[in-house]
Amino acid sequence: MAGLRRIRWDALSLKLVFGVLAAIALLFLVLPTAVVLLTSLTSSQSLRFPPPGLSLRWYVALLDADQMQRAGLNSLIVAFWTTLLSAVCGTAAALAIARSRSPLMRAADLLFMSPLLLPALSFGFAALIFINRLGLSPSIPILVLGHAIVCVPFVLRTTLASLSQLDASLLEASESLGADRLTTFRRITLPLIGPGIGAGAFLAFMASFDNVPVSLFLADERTEMLPIHLWQQIETNLDVRTAAASGAIVIATLILMLLAERFAGLTRRMH
Amino acid sequence: MEADSRLVLPLAALFTAFFVAPLVVLLLLSLHGDIAMQGWTLGNYVKFFSDPFSYSILLDTLLLGVKATLVCLLFGYPVAWLCARAGARWQSVLVFLVILPILTSVVVRTFSWIVILGRQGLLNQVVMGLGLGNEPLRLLYTEVGVVMVLAQVQMPLMVLPILTVLSKLDPNLGDASRVLGAGEWRTFFRITLPLSLPGIIAGCILTYAASITAFVTQTLIGGARLIYMPLNIYQQAVGANNWPFAAALSIIFMITVMIVVGVLGAIGRRSEIHGRT
Amino acid sequence: MTSFRTVTIDRRRLLHRAGGFALAAGLPRFAHAQSKTLIAATFPGTWNEADRDVIAPAFRQLTGAAVTQSIILGTDQVSRLVAAKGNKPPFDVAFFDAPQVIDAVREGLIVEYPAAQSPNYKDLLPTAQDKWGPKITMQVIGLGYNPDKIKTPPTSWDDLLDPKYKGRVGLTALNSQLGIAFLAELNRVKGGTDEDFEPAFKFLKQLLPNVGAIGANLGAFATLWQQEQIDIAPYNFNFVQTLKAKDVPVDFTIPATGAVGWSTSLHLVAGAAEPELAVQYIDLHLAAATQEKLLKSPYDVIPTNAKVKLEGAITKSLAKTLDDVAKIRTINWEKINPQRGALIDRFNREIKL
Repeated sequence: MAGLRRIRWDALSLKLVFGVLAAIALLFLVLPTAVVLLTSLTSSQSLRFPPPGLSLRWYVALLDADQMQRAGLNSLIVAFWTTLLSAVCGTAAALAIARSRSPLMRAADLLFMSPLLLPALSFGFAALIFINRLGLSPSIPILVLGHAIVCVPFVLRTTLASLSQLDASLLEASESLGADRLTTFRRITLPLIGPGIGAGAFLAFMASFDNVPVSLFLADERTEMLPIHLWQQIETNLDVRTAAASGAIVIATLILMLLAERFAGLTRRMH
Repeated sequence: MEADSRLVLPLAALFTAFFVAPLVVLLLLSLHGDIAMQGWTLGNYVKFFSDPFSYSILLDTLLLGVKATLVCLLFGYPVAWLCARAGARWQSVLVFLVILPILTSVVVRTFSWIVILGRQGLLNQVVMGLGLGNEPLRLLYTEVGVVMVLAQVQMPLMVLPILTVLSKLDPNLGDASRVLGAGEWRTFFRITLPLSLPGIIAGCILTYAASITAFVTQTLIGGARLIYMPLNIYQQAVGANNWPFAAALSIIFMITVMIVVGVLGAIGRRSEIHGRT
Repeated sequence: MTSFRTVTIDRRRLLHRAGGFALAAGLPRFAHAQSKTLIAATFPGTWNEADRDVIAPAFRQLTGAAVTQSIILGTDQVSRLVAAKGNKPPFDVAFFDAPQVIDAVREGLIVEYPAAQSPNYKDLLPTAQDKWGPKITMQVIGLGYNPDKIKTPPTSWDDLLDPKYKGRVGLTALNSQLGIAFLAELNRVKGGTDEDFEPAFKFLKQLLPNVGAIGANLGAFATLWQQEQIDIAPYNFNFVQTLKAKDVPVDFTIPATGAVGWSTSLHLVAGAAEPELAVQYIDLHLAAATQEKLLKSPYDVIPTNAKVKLEGAITKSLAKTLDDVAKIRTINWEKINPQRGALIDRFNREIKL
């Protein structure tokens, strides 16, 4: 009897400690997002929190923010093409890596994943020097190439995970029924790994849209990108429009995340 | 099969042309005196290692990573623990909340922290309001503030790998331990923690690498006075136009990160072997 | 099978396209984005707001073209132009303080201003006309302070040393104009010369215990004032007025040693992509109507067009007429510029929080 009581107290204290730490952590995880949304609805001209009153005026002000809109459009265009490039090249590479045991493929896998761990700032600077030596100027296509390098690892990771769960017997069955390799790919493989590619593409899109270290070097004033424009604004003035733009980004992210969860099972693929 | 392996070529070509080549050029530039690359010299590296101001920036950055990673671990492990024990639907919700920050723009997140940490910000209002202090806390533009924000911003990178390992943990082991009379804490320290070590290491690698290269957070929260390696590289490259020196700094930075990641990765692999026995 | 595959691919594409098209459809100016865009530099602080809120719309009305205004410090502008020499410059209109003009001319970064194509040029004060680019304003520094915390306005730079301001003083990094102008003026007041900055650094080292924060530039300072992290700092007249208009508790006063300032000017960059638009943009800054608007709150920008009469906050703190403005003391940048790198380096090493 005494033993049982001791264990229950133990369990309680463990749950309490972990529970409190986890609660604090979750609060801190969610707090910034909530604060940004609330601040963007302020009716005053300053960023005081809590806001003295609520109003949509700053979101309305965004409609007049010419330069911010242009920067946003640039970021969207680059993100779109980066995602496309990453999805196509990344899926192809994932197929090759999943089906081979050779050390060369292992090395290739490591190389393709390395941008996730190496400082993106160093890479961005290296890319700038590189194009400068080649006599080129910063431009949208070059930005897309730079972003693709740092975003394709996301597609690679989720697609490889999907491929590893693909039942090889399905492929064998398809081939024994007379389908050629391309048909097998189109009809069997692709639909099954589709959600995996989709999740990776979504992550790549967000990573590109949000990218700062590469854009800092490869984007110049003529190809202004939204995160950098927002950063300039934050550092130089106390404009509440920045909060509204941030709020808009948060809402858009939430919507896209819900879509990705619904169609690609995002949360399942993250762990 | 041959045909399949050829599928790797497009990405391999992209990486060779736009990842490997620029890094090679970066290395070459760091070994020259000026952008025209006329004469070979180790001058940039000598300048870095002989100047206490320069390498203290690197050390500060490495230390910053350690602090942020430890805070992340302290708070991130319980979150992963909670997620692993949650039912399927709650787990989805919790994971959603965990990855929401990492998908929101880093500029947006850091900006909201400026609002929270300021002298009149939310945190100080709560602290003063609850009577926890007389003076408002000075968090903005201090290293404490940077560590706090980094820990929050990178926490998903710590939580997800640990969650992966915890969810695959065999519950029988825990049960066996309890049946044998061990308390919950003992079970945790003797069974759960060691077995989750690979996840912890993986989380630490990702968090550490991300923290020390977190340019936006370090600069927006730290201000221009707390100089870490990323800002240093940027100032030398764009502000001072000193490309060769900036290139040397970049190479040193990259090699340092690779060493740390390599060491942590090796520890991680060894802990995996231990975990299986 | 077929429908499953099609649906999967459609869903994927939908994710990508939805974001892009929704935003594009919602943008009222999408069509305009296709027309010409001028890229111009601007300063943090009052100027980027004035440029964005007053000049950009007027420019669009005048020319139908949009302008992207990039916030870059004068010294960084010079760096970027030097880095881009030989290629297309990153911006067409340069926004310089007096020190940068000297460097830019020497490096061949700007071209002579085509005054003939600029109708408002002739209305400028003679001192504001310059073959390399017209001066659009004068910036003056003094002491900024929080009137809620400091009831009697400070009267000299030495007030910064007052122990009751421990941890409450703000400074600006030396790569910003505000920082280096403060250093130069401090040096002069403390008896130093253009060659010897020892007195200034001695003062700063004495000041260190009082320093609460060092901002990257005067714009970054805005957060410090609003969050009340600092109560007193060397600051720029214009931006105090702009912050006041935003209900930030800050006020301005000239120390007893007198006001000191420098001119700010606009220039046509060499090899500009849109030179005609650039000249029209610069000319817009010179127009009496524009300068009259900028003279008012919340900008309080000192005008250089002879047709504009001074009024408002400027007359209370700085000068009653444009002649008084001409008498404000300036700094010898020819002597200071070559030392700038060394001074910044010394500042970074010795003045650490």
